[in-house]
Amino acid sequence: MDLTRDRIRVIAGLVVVAALLLIVPATSIAPYYIAFLYLIFFWISMATSWTILSGFAGYWSFGHAAFFGTGVYAAATLATKFDWPFLWTIPAAGLLAAALGTGIGWLVFRLQRLRGELFALITISVTFVVAAIISNTPIDGGSGVYLISVSMPELFGSQPGTIYTLGLALCLMTMVITYGVYRSRMGLGLFAIHDDEDVAEVKGVPTFRYKLGAIALASGIAGAVGSVYSINVSYVTVGETFEITTIMYPVVMSIFGGSRHWLGPALGAIIVTIALYGFPAGPEAALARGGVALGLILVVLLLPDGVMPSIMRVWRRVAPRSLVPIPALPEPLIPAPRAEEAALAARHATVLECKDVVKTFGGVQALKGVTLDVRQGEILGLVGPNGSGKSTLINVITGHFRLDRGSINFAGTAIGHLPAHQVARLGIARSYQIPRPFNRLTVLDNVALAASFGDGHGEDEARRMAAHWLGYTGLARKAFDYPPALNLHERKFLELARGLAARPRVLLLDEVLSGLNNTEVDEALTLIHDIRDRGTTIIFVEHLMRAVNQVSDRIAVLNGGALIALGDPKAVMSDSEVVSVYLGKAHAS
Amino acid sequence: MFHASLIEQSLITGILAGGLYGLLALGLSLSWGLLRLVNLGHFAIALLGAYLTWWMGTALDIAPWWAGLLIIAAFFIYGIALHWVFMRFGVTEMQSMLITFAFAVIVESTLQFLWTADFRRYETAWGTQSWVVGTLYVPKLSLIAFLVAGALAVATWAWLRYTYVGRALRACAEDAPIATAYGINHRALSFLLSGLCAAYAGVAGVFIALIATLAPSQIWAWVGVVFAVVIIGRLGNPIGALIGGVFIGVCEALTMAVINPSWAPLVSFSVLIAFLLFRPRWI
Amino acid sequence: MLLEIENLVVGYGGAPAIWDIALNVGEREIVSVIGPNGAGKSTLINTIAGLLKPERGTLRLGGVDLGRLAPHLVCRQGVALVPEGRRLFAGMTVEENLEIGCYRPEARKVRAHSLERVYELFPVLQERRQQLSGTLSGGQQQMVAIGRAMMAEPRLLLLDEPSLGLAPAIVGEMFGAIERIQSEGVAILLVEQNVAQAMEIADRAYVLEEGRIVATGLPEELLSQSRIKEAYLGL
Repeated sequence: MDLTRDRIRVIAGLVVVAALLLIVPATSIAPYYIAFLYLIFFWISMATSWTILSGFAGYWSFGHAAFFGTGVYAAATLATKFDWPFLWTIPAAGLLAAALGTGIGWLVFRLQRLRGELFALITISVTFVVAAIISNTPIDGGSGVYLISVSMPELFGSQPGTIYTLGLALCLMTMVITYGVYRSRMGLGLFAIHDDEDVAEVKGVPTFRYKLGAIALASGIAGAVGSVYSINVSYVTVGETFEITTIMYPVVMSIFGGSRHWLGPALGAIIVTIALYGFPAGPEAALARGGVALGLILVVLLLPDGVMPSIMRVWRRVAPRSLVPIPALPEPLIPAPRAEEAALAARHATVLECKDVVKTFGGVQALKGVTLDVRQGEILGLVGPNGSGKSTLINVITGHFRLDRGSINFAGTAIGHLPAHQVARLGIARSYQIPRPFNRLTVLDNVALAASFGDGHGEDEARRMAAHWLGYTGLARKAFDYPPALNLHERKFLELARGLAARPRVLLLDEVLSGLNNTEVDEALTLIHDIRDRGTTIIFVEHLMRAVNQVSDRIAVLNGGALIALGDPKAVMSDSEVVSVYLGKAHAS
Repeated sequence: MFHASLIEQSLITGILAGGLYGLLALGLSLSWGLLRLVNLGHFAIALLGAYLTWWMGTALDIAPWWAGLLIIAAFFIYGIALHWVFMRFGVTEMQSMLITFAFAVIVESTLQFLWTADFRRYETAWGTQSWVVGTLYVPKLSLIAFLVAGALAVATWAWLRYTYVGRALRACAEDAPIATAYGINHRALSFLLSGLCAAYAGVAGVFIALIATLAPSQIWAWVGVVFAVVIIGRLGNPIGALIGGVFIGVCEALTMAVINPSWAPLVSFSVLIAFLLFRPRWI
Repeated sequence: MLLEIENLVVGYGGAPAIWDIALNVGEREIVSVIGPNGAGKSTLINTIAGLLKPERGTLRLGGVDLGRLAPHLVCRQGVALVPEGRRLFAGMTVEENLEIGCYRPEARKVRAHSLERVYELFPVLQERRQQLSGTLSGGQQQMVAIGRAMMAEPRLLLLDEPSLGLAPAIVGEMFGAIERIQSEGVAILLVEQNVAQAMEIADRAYVLEEGRIVATGLPEELLSQSRIKEAYLGL
């Protein structure tokens, strides 16, 4: 994370607030309020940690209680059965919970089908399994665990004072960590995963690693919070630890406050806790629970992004953000072709080579042994009727699909079995035929993500580069809009900008012209020529034949998963086999 | 060491319990498989139905069969209303999960508010009666529940397979736009199905009242079991729901007999996790 | 004229995908619409079938304006669609797919007769009637898709790229079946990328390019013009 001025300002602000709150127990304020504040710190920590995985990355978890409970019982067991000093149980609990979380993530995140509701189901199940195990083994055994005799340092002259301080410290830590993730490259990656995980992976985001990181942080924090909880209640039972409220409240608070913002859950936690505290235990408590649940329904239906975005809108009007300056005219923004690339281009050297590539889907061979070479600095047109395998070939080259047989070599490296994000890092980028932008990231951030993960820039540098690319593709005015507000032409050019921002050596353009009118097509073709002149090799999949002929150095024709022609455009398009594929045998001769 | 008849009795208990599980899973399997909505509130309204049956029986002296009819009718309407809300707000699968989860909490807290967290038992004449076969006891009500579950499962399966409306529902689940192109009114059918699933929950609720002990927290106890049953039996498959129910019921019963009763809840969740991890293509 | 389309404009969120479309199909006619990919052929067919709603223009079948009808009511007017890529209900058997075809009330009455007719047209389907349609080969799936549409007793049959992904031998068989369907009195609108077969079978043809109709007439006339070569090969 870049430690720029405003980041330091925010963190300093958090520390100051914490320091002020630290003074509270030293005053003669009633213990009731101290306990109440601790409760707020507790829920802020729980809700905010939940959102790192669920709000940011979109993996809604109903299992936060599992990690919390692990922490609770880890601390209780270590303190009572192994006589650990209490303060050491806090990090231990956190680490154990993080281990559980990471273990679950490692098993589950590699299975693509287990997203969305199935992931939520697994997390509920894990919660109940953990509860059952704890309940049926000597860890708890059904009778609960007493921590009354566990000794603790007394800050501010009392145990509650210590608990308050610990709760505050954990809360501060949670906020700093979450803010840090939010403002970092990892945060950008997590948001992209939320919107479209497959595209994020192809743009270079290491999705598996980031998701593991998110669940490790979320679970670890919940575990640490659990250990402080255990000493606070001093008698822990399975029933109370794994209550439905523990499962539900972080979800409600986060969604209510705004799960995509680092402050959202904290806001939601404060409001909900205050609202609930009006109802002490007893039958009214049940109603209060129902009321909170009703609130969740209303929020999901009416305010799906929570309260925070509305606040942010007001804030933006009050304190407009500084726009990254965008040059008026495109001076040489894009660096000149790298020297080695220019030399390679002169020699017609091969930059990408497919040998006998076979890809099968459940019995059907989509690619039947395609052998194709792409030369440095050329524009290679890739054409063929529907179903000929063009999209499959692109998906195999970018790593979205793994090869079944054959090999793909890119600048000396075999890439046929690499995960997509590594292929992106090596220098291959693509645009999507039907644009797939990250709909909840701004246009600027869409491009910045590609610059950051495809070209390896830090977050702020990536945004500056993104601004340049937006200028280059004519989207500068739309930098802070969201993709749904763009028309088709603009979304296609956004795809192009994203592809370019990764500064790839090879750019695969998948039907970038479809849906554009004549003027727009000509604009696009000019851009494509310019991109090539600056050193990028382009593979250009298109159906608009006049465009392909105009722009390509060579054309490759696929039909039924096999390559049937490769060479000079005029020669290829008059080749009898190619003509017969399109127009029937009668015309071939 | 183990009485042979202990195992056999457990099998009987398990199979019959499986019938009730299957009954409960039926509505959920259909709505998840055919409507693509995850209804976490399914058990909640089933339990609500159970409480209503008990209350009408004990406070108003209405026989369970009549209470059941009222409940089924009311729940059918509730199902349509719920679906209307989902359609009106364009709710996604994930959002439906959150909303129905919240709804389950509302039902649970209302039940607790009205009738406290104490356990309730609906005492009826047949409640304690069993048929005796050799050394084995077959509780009458459980058997009836099992038979009703079987009948409903088969009837639903036949409806989905052999009637125009049933086939239309399956077609909509696979490819709604093309189904529409062939004259199927997707919207109207989805309302019908939603009402039906809620009605099934009502039927399950009546039998829960007659067989099991009631407490608001029961809602969460059923979650793992029913989801496990639905997934094993495959989404949208009525007979699968029954078979899955019996499978889980038997596993649980044997666990209770051979290992320890308190480990029983673990069984369904573990099966669920195992299925999701190792056979994610199954559903 | 059975199908009459005038000034049709259909858009996808802002930019129109097809516009200025004027097209008609007479009773018992086979009309082909050819054009390269992205020209808007699927948009046109999906609009006639009711899956998309036109922004402007008229779309009349036997005098009834289809553009105003709710999507699920279009079929009742006598239109049946064989979609691009077949789009069968993969989890259902061959016979069940066919029976969805005759869902509309008038078609249900003659179900048995229609089923017999389809099996006569495609005998291999009768052998595999209980097989899950998702497990059939491409050619067999195409037969089921056409059969499903025939079960709806249509006056107008819409075929969206029926030769897609099929082996050449099967394509020939399939077009033979289409001609037989025409002889039974059904009008056919065929959208194709495969120019040869589409032109061979058509009574009349239209050329659709980048959203507009650029030529129309008898197949032989169109083929002799260089229009088609330009559109497809860019030469």
